[in-house]
Amino acid sequence: MSQVHIKDEERIGCDAKIRLEPSVYLKKLYDSGTPDLEWMNQMGEWGVRAKPGNLGLRLKDIEIGSYGVVPEHGGAHRSMAPRGATIVEELPSLGFTINEKAECWAENAAELYEEAVARQWSSARDIPWAELKPLPDDLERAMCQLCTFLTEVEFIAADAPTRWMSKMNQDFFEVKMFLATQAMDEARHMDVFRKRALANGGGLGKASALSELSLKKIFDAPSFSAQTGRLHLLGEGFVLTLFRQGEFIAPSRVDQEIFRRCMQDESRHVGYGTMHLRAQLKANPAVAEEIHDQLDDAERILLETFSVPEAVEPMAILMGGGIKNFDKGMEMQSQLWRRIVHEYLQRCDSAGLDRRPRCILPTDFNKLVEAA
Amino acid sequence: MPSFPEARWFQTLGQLMQTEGELFRRLGYAETRFAVRIIPDNNSNGGDRIVGLTIDGYQLSEVKPIADLNEFDPDFVICGKREIWDRMLQEIAEHGRPELRHTLSSLALVGEELWLESTDQLREDKFYRFNQTLQELLNLASKVPE
Repeated sequence: MSQVHIKDEERIGCDAKIRLEPSVYLKKLYDSGTPDLEWMNQMGEWGVRAKPGNLGLRLKDIEIGSYGVVPEHGGAHRSMAPRGATIVEELPSLGFTINEKAECWAENAAELYEEAVARQWSSARDIPWAELKPLPDDLERAMCQLCTFLTEVEFIAADAPTRWMSKMNQDFFEVKMFLATQAMDEARHMDVFRKRALANGGGLGKASALSELSLKKIFDAPSFSAQTGRLHLLGEGFVLTLFRQGEFIAPSRVDQEIFRRCMQDESRHVGYGTMHLRAQLKANPAVAEEIHDQLDDAERILLETFSVPEAVEPMAILMGGGIKNFDKGMEMQSQLWRRIVHEYLQRCDSAGLDRRPRCILPTDFNKLVEAA
Repeated sequence: MPSFPEARWFQTLGQLMQTEGELFRRLGYAETRFAVRIIPDNNSNGGDRIVGLTIDGYQLSEVKPIADLNEFDPDFVICGKREIWDRMLQEIAEHGRPELRHTLSSLALVGEELWLESTDQLREDKFYRFNQTLQELLNLASKVPE
């Protein structure tokens, strides 16, 4: 093997402030020529042979033996030592504070992680931007305002949960891996809606103080589960329906492709949130009150958000097919509002949260006038 | 040749799915068991039929007529009148895909012409998680030999 040339090799370390002591082990190795090999006796469960399924070797395929056991309480060492490895003493703690499984776990976390990895897409490659055609001014302005809103709100679902991600015990790595994919998804959503706003003769529209308030409340949630209720159950559930509406109202195949792909991503996030809350509420029913409190406030802000022109009118214009059909667009929006509320409450049911008696979202869109 | 909504017609879609493997691999795998319910319209062109389908990765691994939905236990059922299914298939035959507002997702959103039934919202959400795969599967109808 040829020797690698390292530039200015003689200068390396000439001003170093730390002097390394020679390794006792390496000295012994060089002197005796006999390897230690003690580490070979310090394995986790040995003889494990995970078999790939028809879709390759997935996380569920390596959930075997002791490696498949997710502890109720995360490792007391609070380090990143891999679950199932031999734990040595004096591991420095990383100070994880979410150490109970119920605080972050969802049974579908590994499944959703693998699915997310398999279904990644590229806004540059997979959106047929070249097919974008000029739209009537009112439709382009409405689409750009909608894209502005989505560009503004989407990345909260990366920023907010990843604050907690770094506090999660490493024994729940499947959840961390899923949240990492969610962060990647949200980066792509922010990217694709920004690109869409700038790609067809329009531009970004008006930012929203109410949206920002909503984001701040998500950011400041007092616990991961409380944040999940606010973010995944209501916020992302709402945006999921918005993406579905987006696909429906898309004035072009380009827009339809964008919304459909985002919809697929978003439904994974909602799926994780629903399952996490199901696990958490089953283990700790008292948490329900904390989540209810969050949702009380989040529903109120959502109603307020739907009380300003830049939130209501772009959707009505897009649904109606232009300002000339504004009334028709409002009527359609009214019909779809019921679906938003219906699906949100269904997800609460699925999570094991009896939200119906406390929900302040009216099922009739026209009552928003009174509720706001 | 088999015709919609015979189970064999869906099996042909499954064979085409394998032929068009790269398209589905690009979308990513899907794992869902669902059913398609075709309700006779006013002209009674065909009976009320339910076909159960399972997508396992990149293949349609199971297709069968369903008599008992509970036994099949699908994640969701896509329900629609025969004329709506026929219109979608006609548009797919002509353009390779349905019109913008006639996609599976758009029609299910409005919920009048096509709607979803499910026992659990979490399972129903698989319709959205794998939506593009479902739509591309149906779009293969344009390649079914007549």
